Amino acid sequence: MSHVTAEGPASFFSGKPLRFIAATILLVNGMFPALWILFTSLKTEAELTVKPITWFPHAPTVANYMQAFSDQPLHIFLFNSFMVALLSTCTTLLVSVLAAYALARLNLKYRGLILSAIIAVSTFPLVTLLVPLFEIMRALNLLNTWIALILPYTVLSLPVCTLMLVSFFEGIPRDLENAAMIDGCTRLGALFKVVVPLCAPGVFTAGILAFVNAWDEFLLALSFNSNPALRTLPVGIQLYQGEFAFPWPVISAALVVGIVPVAILIVIFQERVVSGLTAGGIKG
Amino acid sequence: MKKTLLTGLLFSASMLALSAPAFAEELKVYISSQHQPQVWRQVLDKFEAANPGTKVTIETGGNTSEAQAQYLNTIMSAKDSSLDVLILDVIRPAQFAAAGWTSPFEGKDMSVYLPAYAEANTVDGKVVALPAFADSMFLYYRKDLLEKYGIEPPKTWDELKAAVKKINGGENNADLQGLSFQGKAIEGAVCTFLLPYWSQGKSLVQNGKLTFDKDAAVKSLKLWKSFVDEGISKKNIAEVATDDTRKEFQAGNVVFAVNWSYAWAQSQGKDSAVVGKVGVTRLPAMAGGDQATCLGGWEWGVSAYSKHQEEAKKLVEYLSSPESSKFMAINGSLLPTYPSLYQDAEVVKAAPWFADAKQVVETAKPRPVTPRYNEVSETIRTTVNAVLAGVMTPEDGATQIESRLKRILR
Amino acid sequence: MTTSTLTTTQRIEKEPPAWTRMLDLSDRALAVLLLAPAAILLSLIIVYPVARLAYTSFFSLSLTSGLPAEFVGLENYQLMIEDPVFWETTWNTVLITLITVPGALVVGMGLALLANLPFRTQWPVRLSLLIPWALPLSFAGLIFAWFFHSEYGVVNDVLNRFGIEGVIWFNSPDLAFAAICLTIIWKTSSFMALIILAGLQTIPRSLYEAADVDGAGRLRQFFEITLPLLKPAIVVALIFRTITALQTFDIPYMMTGGGPGTSTATLAMYIHQNTVSFLDLGYGSALAVVMFLLSMCVTVVYLRIIRTKE
Repeated sequence: MSHVTAEGPASFFSGKPLRFIAATILLVNGMFPALWILFTSLKTEAELTVKPITWFPHAPTVANYMQAFSDQPLHIFLFNSFMVALLSTCTTLLVSVLAAYALARLNLKYRGLILSAIIAVSTFPLVTLLVPLFEIMRALNLLNTWIALILPYTVLSLPVCTLMLVSFFEGIPRDLENAAMIDGCTRLGALFKVVVPLCAPGVFTAGILAFVNAWDEFLLALSFNSNPALRTLPVGIQLYQGEFAFPWPVISAALVVGIVPVAILIVIFQERVVSGLTAGGIKG
Repeated sequence: MKKTLLTGLLFSASMLALSAPAFAEELKVYISSQHQPQVWRQVLDKFEAANPGTKVTIETGGNTSEAQAQYLNTIMSAKDSSLDVLILDVIRPAQFAAAGWTSPFEGKDMSVYLPAYAEANTVDGKVVALPAFADSMFLYYRKDLLEKYGIEPPKTWDELKAAVKKINGGENNADLQGLSFQGKAIEGAVCTFLLPYWSQGKSLVQNGKLTFDKDAAVKSLKLWKSFVDEGISKKNIAEVATDDTRKEFQAGNVVFAVNWSYAWAQSQGKDSAVVGKVGVTRLPAMAGGDQATCLGGWEWGVSAYSKHQEEAKKLVEYLSSPESSKFMAINGSLLPTYPSLYQDAEVVKAAPWFADAKQVVETAKPRPVTPRYNEVSETIRTTVNAVLAGVMTPEDGATQIESRLKRILR
Repeated sequence: MTTSTLTTTQRIEKEPPAWTRMLDLSDRALAVLLLAPAAILLSLIIVYPVARLAYTSFFSLSLTSGLPAEFVGLENYQLMIEDPVFWETTWNTVLITLITVPGALVVGMGLALLANLPFRTQWPVRLSLLIPWALPLSFAGLIFAWFFHSEYGVVNDVLNRFGIEGVIWFNSPDLAFAAICLTIIWKTSSFMALIILAGLQTIPRSLYEAADVDGAGRLRQFFEITLPLLKPAIVVALIFRTITALQTFDIPYMMTGGGPGTSTATLAMYIHQNTVSFLDLGYGSALAVVMFLLSMCVTVVYLRIIRTKE
């Protein structure tokens, strides 16, 4: 009797219909908004205000994409976003690898305190720091440079990445490191030659986190880099909106252009992100 | 294509500016990209030609009045000296003057401008900015429909209601909306509130002091709510922003619309269903009151932190001159700030509808001139929005506006 | 040429450069050096600005008044207590946190359990979890504002197709709030799901097989094996989510701008408004300090939990 009941749900849970339903739910949940924006970007403004609304574009047009690129230098926004995100990812990783190693390996007396401090100061929303930060950037003569964004973005991802890497590093047996040091490596050498490569999945995941955080940010980018040649994508997207006008199809086209690079990145690296998280980074 | 070229030019111009040898004076002008920087560029070129040794570059910023204000607020509160000349929404000069962000123009004769602009740019007897171009709210209407039913353009809101009912009865078109206006919590909603309020002969702020009349406020809010309740305006009016009004009207789905001047050109454009069927007039009055409308437009200010005060002032005088105003009227369809230009043959030829616009702009009132305008605006627009959404009664709305404004303008 | 490079490499292998050898002398010196970049960055970007905010919060400093800064002690904090909008936005922030954090957890758990099924091709499933996470908040706000539009939005269209009359989402405080919470949950549940999925994949199959032998049902297995083993992962995810929920800004800013009225405005939005729009730096700073304290409370709880684990 109990055998039968155990078998029944088990076959359902691993059965095809359930997998089909599950896949549908996951895909609709994850993809629908992006797809909807894709559809919108292919419609004309007139089609957008037709009632009842249309789902698929009746006469698909790429005119919105042409306009997105001609109204604003979208390629420049893309380039800036990409470079700022990439560079801030590198600095985040470097700074957090060093800090995480110190916290994980060096038997510090105040380890708990330092860890707490790193997390505590980083819980502060950057939104509220806008004016003082602006003054600092101006004082350092960094306004309208990539660095003005790279510095705060590095801080934005620092705590999560540090925490993640600390737990990764703790998972690496000390013997391996010691062996490397006996072979003539310094501590720092051992860190970069042994520890970091062994934690590659974790470092990678932390990198993706940092990249996405930087790619997303809007408010600081808006305020610090006003030079059109230095604007990032989220700020650039805002520029399609006029005082009165809100050209949805063109904005959608620009959004799609903004989503695609990250989507490609994810398609390439999706396995690593998930395995990085799995490998123990989030065990705390 | 044209735009690509222009963006390209602008971009290469700014690149050149970085590499070009230092000029005696280099001025940086802040214009938002919605204000046709490419046309202003031509005016700047003329200035450069007349003033050898001075180089002017444009910096474009956020596209909405609020985005610009946020950006300028950040820059100016950090006392940044990189911008010399700023374009300011008509509601901002008072705030900029109080914060000490703009340099006053000593001994400037403002009587040459439309009176409303003289008023909007004068704070405590000092001229703090000079007009760039004019604008105001208009009542757009469907000339064809009004003619069909033998209706004159309405002079009061009651006449407007009656007209809508007559047209709706005849047209029997469920998609045809009687009146579209701005109910979303945007700057336009401040004007929405003020139109009927002013029409009752009341003012909101005088000499920096609150002169709030609660009865008039209740009546104003009730009027707008009644449009929703009587089915003259859409139920979702609380999410309607300025451009939604423009789109609905342009698609031929609206009889009357409250909007700024920018909607005119587009209503006569290729995507419009109402080409040649549009009239503009002054906004209606409350029964027994005067017709009143809301003043728009933008001003030029000189940053107090600019290191080129004299040159910057000279540039602003030029940008605000009759010559530039005329050039922008013809080439940028911007309403002139000088009354005489509305009769100018070349201007009228380029934009015939300016003849109708003059009486509207001339009688437009500026929104309250106060340094804390942003707070006043926030209070009014969120309340109007809440009342139209049905979250708050007109009475409670008026009480809320009164108590908050009292705190702000204490 | 080759010889010279060779000798250099050899020299490095034999004796490391002086500066690194020096570091080997003491862990403390090394620790200071390793932590220095993080410390400098955090001081510059966070500690110093926060200190300035705290200082400014004791001054009456409104740039629109034209008056110089004046020390007023706790007056800004007193104003805050009397300010109904402060309480409303704080309450909204707390409510958003209380709704969207557990909401994201439940939805994320559901998505993770579904994604953990043995699919033949894994990447579309992963992609569907990664896309919402990688989508910028400001984009998500824009997109969902369009979704919930009463006339042209897809949400009402779907409702209509099921014979339910669409509603004007942004006309009612409750519906607008619900729309915002749904958007936040959608945006944040996928990262929750990723973390839980990662946790699920580390649970050894043998545990379930043993439970099967014992005759434990799926539900019992979930509560007795899956959930306890996932707990550490979930706790970390929850804390980070809570902190970001308290900072909610982009999504309501883009979707409703805080309306109708101020019914969907958050504390972060109110701070931004007071400093950047109203230029009331004194009051804005005081608000920011309160927000900082709020975040600190969560952090303290977090650190407690981490410590008890160790």
